[in-house]
Amino acid sequence: MVKFVQAWRKYRLGKWALALLILFLFLLPVPQFVAPEAKLVTNSLLFSLTQMFMLIILASDWNLIGGFTGYYDFGHAVFFGLGAYGTGVMMAQMGWAFVPALLIGAVVAAVFAILLGSATLRLRGAYFSIAMLGAFVAVREIIRVLRPITGGGSGLTLPPYLNRPLFYYVLLLFMIFVVWVIWWIRRSEFGYTLIAIREDEVGAEMRGINTTLHKIVVFTLAATFTGLVGGLWAYQNTFIDPDVVFFDSRTLDMVLATLLGGLGTVTGPVLGAVLIYWLRDVLWANFLQYHLIIQGLVLILIVLFLPEGVLGSFDPNSGTRIGGWVGKILREADGETEETANAAESVEAPV
Amino acid sequence: MTAVTQQQPLLEGRGVSKYFGGLAALSDVDFTVYPGEIMGLIGPNGSGKTTLFDCLSRVQDISKGQVFFKGEDITRKKPYQVAHLGLSRTFQIIRVYNKLTVIENLLLSQQWRNKGILKQLRPSGQQMEGRAKELTDFLLMSHVIKEKAGNLSGGQKRLLEIGMALMPDPDLILLDEATSGINPTLIETIKDRIRELNSKYNKTFLLIEHNIHFIGDLCDRVFVLDYGQKLAEGTPDEIMNNQAVIEAYFGADGDEGDDEYDE
Repeated sequence: MVKFVQAWRKYRLGKWALALLILFLFLLPVPQFVAPEAKLVTNSLLFSLTQMFMLIILASDWNLIGGFTGYYDFGHAVFFGLGAYGTGVMMAQMGWAFVPALLIGAVVAAVFAILLGSATLRLRGAYFSIAMLGAFVAVREIIRVLRPITGGGSGLTLPPYLNRPLFYYVLLLFMIFVVWVIWWIRRSEFGYTLIAIREDEVGAEMRGINTTLHKIVVFTLAATFTGLVGGLWAYQNTFIDPDVVFFDSRTLDMVLATLLGGLGTVTGPVLGAVLIYWLRDVLWANFLQYHLIIQGLVLILIVLFLPEGVLGSFDPNSGTRIGGWVGKILREADGETEETANAAESVEAPV
Repeated sequence: MTAVTQQQPLLEGRGVSKYFGGLAALSDVDFTVYPGEIMGLIGPNGSGKTTLFDCLSRVQDISKGQVFFKGEDITRKKPYQVAHLGLSRTFQIIRVYNKLTVIENLLLSQQWRNKGILKQLRPSGQQMEGRAKELTDFLLMSHVIKEKAGNLSGGQKRLLEIGMALMPDPDLILLDEATSGINPTLIETIKDRIRELNSKYNKTFLLIEHNIHFIGDLCDRVFVLDYGQKLAEGTPDEIMNNQAVIEAYFGADGDEGDDEYDE
């Protein structure tokens, strides 16, 4: 194990593994073009993966505001809905093409985030969560009532466009972009500012950080990404109505994926979303009637036994048993490299 | 002292009042702090010292009166704006970012001065790490630089807070009970550091303190609060011999008062 860690570090295997994974994901739909009859890769697999990419983006967005900044947004799916409806209304009612309509959807989500955030981000803790949950329900009902524009309860039908590989590639690229942006933020001064706000908002403000501005900026960024996913989802689904778009557990999925993977880490939500998606696929297939119950149980189990998430539990500083074990291996790996370095020195010294 | 008092004040409060409902935590407090001085702020528990600090750093709204810093009215400014003007503080109840390392804590305390969000998008650290390392040397904590702040001892956290307050190179530093819970040797270190910062770098200090010897050794002037009102102001010697202060602070008969704070 120690040898493995050292080799991993020496040859930067992490980077190679990531590059290989991305390459694999890019090449995956190729059999579909080359030899569609062979059915090596089915459209339904591509569709499944596309949904998974969406969940990864959504969880990563939620993590920006919930994990980095420490504001638990229990109504974040409101931006998904606004993006979906912004796009849907422009396409179905105004006859716009998809790309400009999608941009309108993103703008609607962003503007709403600035307005809503200016009010709700003044609240702390549970009050913010409840206010966002309220906003989610309120926007759903407003959309239901605005029948002339949104089609009300009977929904809107978008011009159908069935090209699974295209959606697959768009979402794959978008997912890579979002995760890259979040990785960048995490190591930037801006990212550290967000963590300072999470750790001690009053202290951060007094140490010269304009906390309100930072919160609104990150909230709007997360909302814009979420809105774009909403718009893409609407087009892919070709039909939107308030209950499908503002699905109750949509925010819950984001929270669940982030918590399962590891709150406030870059890769946590990605890993969490993959696990959740896989878990749900299995549950849907085998226990259709009970899948929500089992999903709820999983959430309870995470909070009880993995409060730091899967990735967080491997952190040597987390105080968990696995963390201690990882820490020991890492220290041994460090120690051995130091020893070998010392040995090399002592050999050289007499010369 | 006379030379100092002829200068333009660095910090000036005019009739500063703070009400919590019907309770007047501060009423009509006037004070001035001149550049280059070390001023002490003492008073019994609940006399409004920390509330005054909170009003100055603008965490609390000022109910009445005005505060000027460097001639600028800061009565209605936001806390971060006051910090940008060059006023930093430490806290009675320690506030450090527990989950971040010592060096990250320090870096987080200064980089945001007058800088737009777009400029914050570069990777954190590099430029100011030199200054952060200097400060950890100065505060004798270079051996814990990579340690998470949450794992430090109480005394080390206090030192880290002082470092965080110094990081943006402020002109005025408010220290709220910087020596509470710290062992005597470390108190001497803090005292030396404050003196050095004051004489060498011309930093101005306003400190809340219960340790009378600390006040006596360091301060040019002392300012006493009692029940939210200014009770007295003067040199440490004048204050120690002021009958009203002795009654308020050390209890009615003041002979043994000094000993009480020796422990």
